[in-house]
Amino acid sequence: MELFVQLLANTLQIGAVYVLFALGLTLIFGVMKIVNFAHGGFFTAAALIVTSVVPFATVELGAPLWAGYLLAAIVAIVVVLCLGALVYGIGFQHVLKDLNGSFILSIGLLLILNGAYLAIYGGAPRTVPQVLPGTVSIFGAALTAQRLALVIVAAVVTGGLYLLIERTRLGLALRAVAMDQEAAMLQGMPFKRVALYGFLIGAALAACAGVLMAPINAVTPVSGDEFLIKAFIIIIIGGLGSVPGAIIGGLFIALIESVGGYFFDPSTATLATFILVIAFLLVRPQGILGNVE
Amino acid sequence: MWNRLPGVWICVAFAIASVLFALLATNAYYTSLVVWVLTNAVLASALRFVLQIGELNIATAAFFGIGAYTTAITAVLLGWPFWLTLLLAPLVAGALSALFGWVTLRTKGPYFLLVSFAVTEVVRLVYTQTNAIGGNSGLVGMFPPMAIEAYYPALAVALLAATLFALYGVERSDLGRLFKAIENNDAIPRSVGLNVVFLKVLCVVIAGSAVGLAGGLHAYANNVIAPSDFTFFVAILALAYVKIGGEGHALGPVLGAALLTLVGQWVAGISAWENIFYGAVIVVTLLVFPGGLVGLAARARGLVTRSAR
Repeated sequence: MELFVQLLANTLQIGAVYVLFALGLTLIFGVMKIVNFAHGGFFTAAALIVTSVVPFATVELGAPLWAGYLLAAIVAIVVVLCLGALVYGIGFQHVLKDLNGSFILSIGLLLILNGAYLAIYGGAPRTVPQVLPGTVSIFGAALTAQRLALVIVAAVVTGGLYLLIERTRLGLALRAVAMDQEAAMLQGMPFKRVALYGFLIGAALAACAGVLMAPINAVTPVSGDEFLIKAFIIIIIGGLGSVPGAIIGGLFIALIESVGGYFFDPSTATLATFILVIAFLLVRPQGILGNVE
Repeated sequence: MWNRLPGVWICVAFAIASVLFALLATNAYYTSLVVWVLTNAVLASALRFVLQIGELNIATAAFFGIGAYTTAITAVLLGWPFWLTLLLAPLVAGALSALFGWVTLRTKGPYFLLVSFAVTEVVRLVYTQTNAIGGNSGLVGMFPPMAIEAYYPALAVALLAATLFALYGVERSDLGRLFKAIENNDAIPRSVGLNVVFLKVLCVVIAGSAVGLAGGLHAYANNVIAPSDFTFFVAILALAYVKIGGEGHALGPVLGAALLTLVGQWVAGISAWENIFYGAVIVVTLLVFPGGLVGLAARARGLVTRSAR
């Protein structure tokens, strides 16, 4: 029982970040019909900014750690939003719905971003001091307070996104554009603006994931790329463009990883997920909740 | 096909010149550079070959690695003869491409792209997890036999150039037209009774065998291979060559590979700037002249003929 709860807790904490990351990717795909390879760049930017703003705020400004971290979170999200708007304005708005073109563009951007991070921060892993020290015990399963906070924040953000998509006018526009862009435009929806909002929401989700992961794992200029590969697998399983699919897929992959990582070893678990995806595609090429094109 | 295309003869002359250069040049750096340029040209051409059916095949990198590993395993661990190890590289890569295509070509577009990406990572993980083939550090000691060693770069260049011509030949044949028809709208070829899935698999197999051979030659040219040589990044660079050179013509990827490989020689080593350089080249090309070098040339020729009139 204790083992079971522990594995479930591990699944939730790994899954929380996967879900945030994959949600952004799937949202961008749904609205713009592009596969954004540079999505990891947003994650890494946010995490790196946290690692430089937190020491600045606590040492230079003398702020308490939690305030420094909150400031860092705000700065990181704002900077990533600006970066997202810039990238959209220069590049992506010219290749909307062009699968190969946008993919190539996003690869170019990823190379530039990775190179820039490497040039600015160097390759060494960077860390942030623990914001919430201590461990919490739930039904006998040990969970650090930080990771528990991560799960809660990720759940709140995911819930917020769900409400945004299901209950607001913007959400309605996003869903309409994702379903049929031309029909949505005929109803008077400004496609390019809706696509920009979708892209920025996706970037903000990646930034959230980066901010939440910074105090937990050491950050390197390629941190985001590891999540990117996982996130691709998640959205293949869940169905490209499907929000509930990304949530189910994220938790599912996290479950395989935590159970497989416990009974075997992490690389076997990774290998198992890849093989599972390929087997999965044989049976259901469009993913759990995807639509047939 | 030959007499209608004077450009082909120029390419043949150029290929012969490269072989002679690899044969006669004494500086090992330059001969290995020529081999490397042609290896990249084959990778890029194979990527473009599958783009003919409208799919972006990241697993090009995986089949390059499979070719290299096939040659290395049979040569180093099993001690099989040189020609056999070289022949097995395209055969094994082609057979595995058939399996890969049969499984994954049920999907298309973004799904195929992401799956081919995942397959590349799986294959690389398998190398790192298998201690019998050297795990993370790979395999060392693939040498061509003494009798051939001096001519090896010329042999490699000749085989790679022949592969490029073969890919071009298929593209110009009726089979190539079928591939284009599938890209335009795969319901139409299906409606006249063609087996579209088989044709798609065939396209992936031809490209897979070509990069498999390039991988086998690479193993002997480099003497050392490791899993990190065969990440998805190989396919991404190949894509950059295709984009820079231009997708519109078979010459595009070759020109792109030559240009970027040679220019890349002096940004190489400083990894941060190397990334920024390749990234900037891709972004600028895509946004400013999407047709690449070949597209620019076609446009320039259009202007010339128009003004001549």
